[in-house]
Amino acid sequence: MGKREKKNKPPFGEKNKHKFSEKLLRELENAGLSTERLIFCCSGDMDNDACYRNAWLSFDEKGLYIAYGTEEMTKIKGKKHVEPKFTVDEIISIPLGDIDSLETERYVSTGRLVAVKDGEQSSLVRFSIGKIGQFDNLTKAFNSFKEKGEAEIPTSAEPEEKKCKKCGKPCPPGKDFCRKCGKNSAVAVRLFKFFGGYVPQIVAIIAIMLLGSAVSVFVPQVSTRALFDDVLANPDGMPAAELLKALGVLVISIFAIKLLNVLLTVIQQYLTGGIMPKVIYDIKVRIFNAMQRLSVGFYSSKQTGSLMERVVRDSNNIYWFFVDGVPSIIIDTATIIGVLTLMFIMSWKLSLIVILAMPVIITFLVIGDKFFRRLHHRNWLFSARVSSMVSDNINGQRVIKAFAKEDDEYDRFSETSSDLMASEIKLTVSEATLYPILEVVIVLLSTVVLGVGSVFVAKGEMTVGTLLTYIVYLEMLRGPFDFLSWVSNWWSRCADSAQRVFEICDAEPDIVEKEDAVSFENLHGSIEINELEFEYEAARPVIRKLSLNVEAGDMLGIVGKTGAGKTTIANLIARLYDAKEGSVKIDGIDVRDLKLTELRRNIGLVSQDIYLFSGTIADNIRYAKPEATMSEIIAAAKAASAHNFIMKLPDAYETRVGAGGQKLSGGERQRISIARTIIQNPKILILDEATAAMDTETERNIQNSLTKLKAGRTTIAIAHRLSTLRDSDYLAVIDGGKIIEYGTYSELLKQKGEFYKQYKIQAEALKTIGIGESEAETEEE
Amino acid sequence: MSNNTISPETLKAEYVSPEKCVFSINPNGFLAAEIDGKTYKRVILTRALPLSAPDEYICVSDIEKNEVGVIEKIAAFSPEQQKLINSELSQRYYCPVIEKIESIKEKMGNFYFDVVIGGIKKSFAVKDITKSIRQHGDAIDVTDIDGNRYRITDFDAIEAKSRRKLEPYLY
Repeated sequence: MGKREKKNKPPFGEKNKHKFSEKLLRELENAGLSTERLIFCCSGDMDNDACYRNAWLSFDEKGLYIAYGTEEMTKIKGKKHVEPKFTVDEIISIPLGDIDSLETERYVSTGRLVAVKDGEQSSLVRFSIGKIGQFDNLTKAFNSFKEKGEAEIPTSAEPEEKKCKKCGKPCPPGKDFCRKCGKNSAVAVRLFKFFGGYVPQIVAIIAIMLLGSAVSVFVPQVSTRALFDDVLANPDGMPAAELLKALGVLVISIFAIKLLNVLLTVIQQYLTGGIMPKVIYDIKVRIFNAMQRLSVGFYSSKQTGSLMERVVRDSNNIYWFFVDGVPSIIIDTATIIGVLTLMFIMSWKLSLIVILAMPVIITFLVIGDKFFRRLHHRNWLFSARVSSMVSDNINGQRVIKAFAKEDDEYDRFSETSSDLMASEIKLTVSEATLYPILEVVIVLLSTVVLGVGSVFVAKGEMTVGTLLTYIVYLEMLRGPFDFLSWVSNWWSRCADSAQRVFEICDAEPDIVEKEDAVSFENLHGSIEINELEFEYEAARPVIRKLSLNVEAGDMLGIVGKTGAGKTTIANLIARLYDAKEGSVKIDGIDVRDLKLTELRRNIGLVSQDIYLFSGTIADNIRYAKPEATMSEIIAAAKAASAHNFIMKLPDAYETRVGAGGQKLSGGERQRISIARTIIQNPKILILDEATAAMDTETERNIQNSLTKLKAGRTTIAIAHRLSTLRDSDYLAVIDGGKIIEYGTYSELLKQKGEFYKQYKIQAEALKTIGIGESEAETEEE
Repeated sequence: MSNNTISPETLKAEYVSPEKCVFSINPNGFLAAEIDGKTYKRVILTRALPLSAPDEYICVSDIEKNEVGVIEKIAAFSPEQQKLINSELSQRYYCPVIEKIESIKEKMGNFYFDVVIGGIKKSFAVKDITKSIRQHGDAIDVTDIDGNRYRITDFDAIEAKSRRKLEPYLY
């Protein structure tokens, strides 16, 4: 290992983001590694035998270095947070000349970094599969440095895993705390911000709730104590008529107080009902708006069901917590405080018995709640399994019947249902066993209070009315304590929902329009793809260094096997994803420099996955141009060969399609989607397997529509069936994300390569069924 | 057997038999092979049924990931050859083994596992616990938020305390 060369300037600037932290660099220096000229750093978590061990990898102009050691998070005196302490045990240096290139290999739950020299591979280090992105960045930086003498540093490079400042465990990128230590209160604060515009109403609601609690607490004073002590006991020896009058006044007073309570509840619910739907509307709109900003990549990584759940279920969870939960928390807390105060005033001796028994009851409630949560969770899982099985069964009815599997399906359902039944029985039996035990404890407490209270009454320390009121108050405590013992779980569920909602609101879209994005002045439609690289998942490249040009107005056909990367090229041209390396230019402008609306307005995409929105056929055709006139819609439908079948439908252009609407065949739906693209009038047209799933006649109809659509536009047509690409000016054959053949239709046939091979296979298939025999032969000649 | 059943003989041609195949270790420590007289400097083995039958139906591919053939049963090979095959498979399918579960705590819908693997304490977070835990036979696989997979090889064999912590989520 060479000595430090302090005078030399580092090759890529003093403060490299892709370098280790100062602390770690110091430790590496102490262990003998010269770190000044390090070009790229990356951290691992295993050694070459897949044993957990901290590993720090880096390279400079002289070699690749693998340092092993430990990283401990320790609490520093006088500081609240923990900080890392590094120890470097061993450094392995490999001269740069001993490695031609690096490769990463993906296994099931680990990965491997491999060095290649003269075609021979040797293993350098293993790592957990979650770190493959970092190691892939290292291989890219290293290989580009070896190839060009300059390292291409990926923007996503993170040399060290960030640790939580509180507990020292790994934390998500860009965060200072791990998910576990992240502040719960932050969610509450953000949630309460939604109520910012309703402060006066909220103050009024809380005031009404407190008043309501006070009234509730006051009720037993009149309905029990005053009734027994002041009227029924008749302490002043009132005559019967007077007594009856006093009783009447008391009954009316009780009725009035109860009425007031009901009124207060109605006002509170009226005010809450006026605010909450607005707050939930704000939350839903915020989520929906955030979802519109996010890129296609976000939707591919999340299930649609899960996203719908976020919009609907999570906002409902928040709604019900604030409508039911928050008022109950305020009312019950106020009730407990008020009731306990009055109980102490009435008899501090009896209250001591209650206070002593309280921890037992609360512990019972908390433990019981935990136990039942597990049972409910288990029950929910079985129930979800049964629902999923029913859904599978309904959707798969054709397959079930085709394979005569009705009886097997019945057995499967019966088995899963019996699991649910057993779980429900256990839940019911547990509830029926545990709740009576709690009941006995409470009854026992009431009995003891009644017994001791009766002694106090006998001694004249307490009146009968006061004792009975005390018992009523004791009973009043039960509900609020029960509620408060599980409300924290309710809040957890609400906070959990809120967290998921904020996750969407905070998600950064992958595709962001630049601030100084430009518009086309006069779009011609030429496309230039340079050294394009792309991967959906780290270390699994889909497009590799792909370059091609399409002149304005030309048609390029792209062919290749399934998974070759054809659709990805279309997605990258339309900027549904951003290239990892390289560029896509339209009229010489990088798509990343263009305004997104401008770009998408000028690119028409007809794909195999056709989506029709709920609405009429006319609505769907005018989707790209809402101001389109009916004449334009009919013209577009005619151009797409859709007009005839639309007119045969009873409601013609007003036929409802989409969920719950008219069932249309694949070909019909595709023709509507072509009409939608025609009305958009894009300068660049991408046809992604537009006719792949169609029968021959429908395909021919659609091909006619597409031929009309292609006129005067730059067209990129992706297809399996080579016959559909005969009109292409050029054809590119893609395999493994690379172009393997390029030329005109006849040039490629003459080359007798992959295209010719595919052509022969398809021609043979057509001959077998007696189609295009002479056509195929002519073409080959 | 009914007439319309595909005969296993039809698939036989695809199998790599012990008579026509010799595995060895190349100088860099990777598995090499000679199959049907053809030498492969490095071969990759992948299991078709990694959970239920890890010793059967092993696909043999070259370095370009083109399939060369399928090993029907590892047991058909000699003990030395089996050792080489199993060593390669154990590297590819290596999964850190959880020896002890110290705690599983839930917060905001995520589950935080503190476990011991190879005598070292390890923490990880699991997002959708019902989908992240998979039982197969006596073993249990847990996949964390970053896609890392951990295994309990025999759930009944780990200490009762650890078992109790995971049990509520195993349905």
